[in-house]
Amino acid sequence: MKNKLIIFALILLLPASAFAISGEEIVRKADDKATYDSAEMAGEMRITDRFGTKTSTFNSWSRGENESLIEFTSLAERGQKVLRTENEIYLYYPDAEELIRMQGSALRQGMLGSDISYEDMTGGKDRASQYKIEVTGSETILGRDCWVLSLEARTRSVPYPKETVWIDKQDYIVMKGEYFTKSGRLLKEMEVLELGEIDGITLALETKISDKMKRDSDTILIVKDLKANVALDDAIFSLEELSW
Amino acid sequence: MTLRIARTAFKNIARNKRRSILSGAAIAVAAMSIVILFAFIGGMSKDMENNLRSYYTGDVNIRNVDYEEYERFNPVHLTVNIDDAESAISNTEGINAWVPRTTFGTSIYIDGTNHAAVGVGADFEREAGYIDLEEIVKAGRLPEAGKNEMIMGTVLAENLHFSIGDKVTIMTMTASRGTNAMTLEITGLAAFPVAALNSNNLWIPLDRVQHLLQTPEAAQQIMIETAEGYNRSKVAENISAALTAAGTPGDVNDMENMSLMFGMLKLADMIYNVIAAFFFILGSTVIINTTMMVIFERMREIGTLSALGMHGKELVRLFLLEGAFISAVGAAAGVVLGIIITLYLGRVGIDFTDAMQGVDMEISAMMYPVLSIPKTIFVYFYSVIIACLATLVPSRKASRIQPVEALRYI
Repeated sequence: MKNKLIIFALILLLPASAFAISGEEIVRKADDKATYDSAEMAGEMRITDRFGTKTSTFNSWSRGENESLIEFTSLAERGQKVLRTENEIYLYYPDAEELIRMQGSALRQGMLGSDISYEDMTGGKDRASQYKIEVTGSETILGRDCWVLSLEARTRSVPYPKETVWIDKQDYIVMKGEYFTKSGRLLKEMEVLELGEIDGITLALETKISDKMKRDSDTILIVKDLKANVALDDAIFSLEELSW
Repeated sequence: MTLRIARTAFKNIARNKRRSILSGAAIAVAAMSIVILFAFIGGMSKDMENNLRSYYTGDVNIRNVDYEEYERFNPVHLTVNIDDAESAISNTEGINAWVPRTTFGTSIYIDGTNHAAVGVGADFEREAGYIDLEEIVKAGRLPEAGKNEMIMGTVLAENLHFSIGDKVTIMTMTASRGTNAMTLEITGLAAFPVAALNSNNLWIPLDRVQHLLQTPEAAQQIMIETAEGYNRSKVAENISAALTAAGTPGDVNDMENMSLMFGMLKLADMIYNVIAAFFFILGSTVIINTTMMVIFERMREIGTLSALGMHGKELVRLFLLEGAFISAVGAAAGVVLGIIITLYLGRVGIDFTDAMQGVDMEISAMMYPVLSIPKTIFVYFYSVIIACLATLVPSRKASRIQPVEALRYI
């Protein structure tokens, strides 16, 4: 009994930081939360620019953090596909006889004219090892208590050299993000507009992304349906199947 | 008295043939250069206007009412309905031909890399009545409507190592501000007169471009060639009124009102004229210099003539007549030579293909000088008058000095 009391007293005497979760761990948990072993999703992109708003619908399939396929179903883009493999992004267009491999500066183009670039898709989900991370405070977003984290890239192979992200303390959902150049110029902003639950999973149902390099432009990404951990055929993520 | 001075002037010219020929030759070369320069500048202006008319604006141009405001944002969706335009055009007098065209920025995809190019959607059947397509397509054939085919600028094809029969995938932005890509077969190589077009243009059947850009039944612009004798501005007004009356208003402009394009033409004209003025002054300097030197080097002779009793005014008249005779013959020879050279170059042209590569101007790589009769007549009289005036300064000075002093000149 005496020993137990001593241990309890020692625990009370430990600094609070010993219990605090580290920035790396928060980001790792958030990235894990956003990555499914496999998933099938139906969604919508509402793209607004100086000429108005257009809506594109899509179905997507993903496996792990490196494989995904998006197939657009809206009339204007029907049949167009974007395949992400471990290291590459390929575009399929029904009227093109070859697949288009995106690389270099082309990766900075917005997908279908949206504020989401192909580079955003390639950004690895292992940010915990790619960035030096620091917890800078706490803020409430959409009624949820969030950590505010400052990220500074350790490597050049990331889309944004600096990031500030707000991560929900309860479900590790990235509620807001600001993405900067190395010199601190704001390039992009992301903000969750609506949280919800599908199939028992809490996730961002509506997310607004604004490319700050474009005037009067934003994209709202809406998740309509999500099925996590479904069995997916290997062929879905193969180049051979992409043009079928 | 005047006749005697004229005879003396002739004798003086004949007495020192080498001096007279050199002096006349200098005037001839200056006059010839100015004639050719004017013809060259005239040719460039005419060429630029022709190219603007054929490839950029037409005599009259119809675009979407909002196009100009958003032009810098590549507004692919701001188009003109071709049927609406056709009915307005058919109700308007003074139109020779018209073509719908859609110009769009694109990138050619080659093994993971993109090369910038400019796509042009054209109705080739209509184009045959608007531009000389036979002359433009140097190898192969024109694309067929409904087929994924294209003709490519010869320089672009050479730079990217493409030839007839190759398949090329292009990517572009669509009217819904998404992206699309299409693979097209090269059926011909086109040598456009404008170097910039030659190095970046791909011409594709309009219906395929409408499919690619998702702009059915529409074109970015309608280019109209007005009939001889009709006022472009009046034709534009009438088409605009017809479109408005049909409830489908468009932005209709004559060439002069296409702010940027015609403004560039005017700017180019101004630059050419400034360059011409410099050469003109240079030519005049040659004439003045030669004439004055010829008199200054004859001070001993002037002294002798004064000693023999020739008065100041007679001396001035003598040199004026000498200058007039030499310049009349020299300028005539120069102008005739200039006309012959201009007419020859106007027929065969001057090839600037290599020099114009990478130059983004609406000037043709083949330049054809255009002779202007009024300007040529002006050059002749200008040369004679300037030569005569140039004799006045030294001869008046010479007439005022004493014979003894004049004889001291070596």
